[in-house]
Amino acid sequence: MIFKHLKELYSYRNLIWQLSWSDFKLRYKNSILGYFWSLLEPLLMLLVLYIVFSNLMKIKVEYYQLFLFIGIILWGFLSRATNSGMLSIVGKPDIVKKIYFPRDIFVISSCITALLMSIFESLVFVMFMIFYRVPVSINLAYAPLILVFLFAISLGISLALSALHVFYRDVQFIWQVFMQIGFYLTPILYTIDIFPKNLQRFILLNPIARIIISARDTIIYSSPAKMNDLLFMFLSSIVLLLVGYIIFSRLEPRFAEEI
Amino acid sequence: MTAIKVENLHKTFRIPHEKRTTIFETLTGVFKHPTYETFQALKDINFTVEEGEALGIIGENGSGKSTLLKIIANILRPSSGSVTTLKKLTPFLELGIGFQPDLTAAENIKIYATIMGMPIREINDKLDDIIEFAGLEKFRDTKLKNFSSGMHVRLAFSTAVQTDPEILLLDEVLAVGDMEFQQKCLDVLSQYRKNGVTIIFVSHDLGSVRRFCDTALFLHKGKQIALGNTAEVIDSYVYSGNQEEALNQINDLEAEPSENKTPRGKDKKIEVTNVEFYDKFNNKGARFNSFDQMTMKIFYNAYERISDPVFGIAIYSENGENLFGTNTELKNVSIDSLEGEGHIDLMIERIPMLTGRFLLTVAVHTHDQKLYDWHDKQYSFNVISTCRDVGLFEVPCNWKI
Repeated sequence: MIFKHLKELYSYRNLIWQLSWSDFKLRYKNSILGYFWSLLEPLLMLLVLYIVFSNLMKIKVEYYQLFLFIGIILWGFLSRATNSGMLSIVGKPDIVKKIYFPRDIFVISSCITALLMSIFESLVFVMFMIFYRVPVSINLAYAPLILVFLFAISLGISLALSALHVFYRDVQFIWQVFMQIGFYLTPILYTIDIFPKNLQRFILLNPIARIIISARDTIIYSSPAKMNDLLFMFLSSIVLLLVGYIIFSRLEPRFAEEI
Repeated sequence: MTAIKVENLHKTFRIPHEKRTTIFETLTGVFKHPTYETFQALKDINFTVEEGEALGIIGENGSGKSTLLKIIANILRPSSGSVTTLKKLTPFLELGIGFQPDLTAAENIKIYATIMGMPIREINDKLDDIIEFAGLEKFRDTKLKNFSSGMHVRLAFSTAVQTDPEILLLDEVLAVGDMEFQQKCLDVLSQYRKNGVTIIFVSHDLGSVRRFCDTALFLHKGKQIALGNTAEVIDSYVYSGNQEEALNQINDLEAEPSENKTPRGKDKKIEVTNVEFYDKFNNKGARFNSFDQMTMKIFYNAYERISDPVFGIAIYSENGENLFGTNTELKNVSIDSLEGEGHIDLMIERIPMLTGRFLLTVAVHTHDQKLYDWHDKQYSFNVISTCRDVGLFEVPCNWKI
């Protein structure tokens, strides 16, 4: 059944791309400085967090600004993808009620839009890398794989949230609180070493924590990703995608009536 | 070859009394059993549409036409039964789905055409044609929010007609827009018919259904009343409601206190007791197809022997304009004398009205205009158009070149 669905989605690849790309353009079209603003936002956040936490942190972290920037970009992607993915079905009632195509196309394309925006932000990160003359190694090759896992996890969460949000309109507030807490429980601002060992194990249950740590290792610190981390990320992407897909396909038949 | 097959289709909507839209409400209401009404929108619908056939679906508002179309389009799912479509389906339930006001005309065409299932290469090839057909060459890169609603519709329409459908679902699309636009739609529809596209067409416009559809399906309160030859189904549609409506009307009349009628004094020697309308199948009703036959029966009660009375009628439009009046004297019908109950009939061979509600005045008087009884605009009937001419009346005419 899933393979048949994947085949159907493949036949709709143009639509997915059109929706993602037009959404991406829309985000920036309303202001001439649109592209500039979208870069300014993470940069300002980076600046504030850097000033505060580089003074607060006891342990000296090498390339702390890049360390922080990677965390902000990756967490920003998760947050953006799940938030826009969650609203992607209820945000298009006129289409849902008037025409049929696989409904998860809305969710997939809004995650792709979020990805496009994050890739755009990463251009500044690349400039930072060059500016600070960070050496890169062959281990950078792990990075795309890690990003694929992050995308899969975000998509899985978005699928579940978007379907639930059609029926329960307070899901978005609950999720916002959840993300707020998640931001501090994930090693974005700090290294995981500041915690005692048994607490570290607890924090590493969060696949996003492993994704951010591995991304830093491979991109900034030229070290390979740990095998058990990759395995954990892989399994959690599969599980989240499946759970998301199952919830979505259970609720999907009633979308047009409930929206 | 069969293009669409609908078998034992049922659709029930659940309408909760108190809709729970949040997790909070669901948790706090967990001990209260949710109550809801069920509404059977469709009951046991069965039909097949052959390839190249055009099926018209007719019925009153709320009869389930749009629900049926949405189920065929896979937007709603049936409660039980099945719909099998064996061809590529293109629904025109609404024009301009997914239009983004902040994108330009060209960008919107690309998105809309993709939603309608056009391959990307074809869209790029046809982009200029579409814009030209809509007459919007100058506005190619203008944002859609600056378009007038007319330009909006033109853009959507010219994009939609570029699709190459195998099965076309049409829902009242023709109802929007001016005469010129409707004509354009009908032209495209004829073109599709010629190309052998299978069409399912939902409309109130019986004229278009008659012109385009080989077969028709008549739904009433979710039930399939008639399926088959278009002309026969349209007849059953127009005249089916009659019995029910007639009953209502009689009740209305009876319930209505006779205050605005002339008081029924003992001095009244003869009075009109009722007027009934009969259609070409000799069923009583108040709804007629234009150009059909109709009989008005005027019931009277003569309390004493009346010699040489004159019966007359006048037909008014809903605005109160007197459209037509006649009486027995003008038609050289003389009635010797009447006594007791009875009825006099007026035969209308061909109703010339096109559409609307018409009011009827009935009177009975002596030769020298002394009134016995007069019911001013107390009766009414409806005429439903089955052609595409407009106006109140048909004027018999022919074009010659």
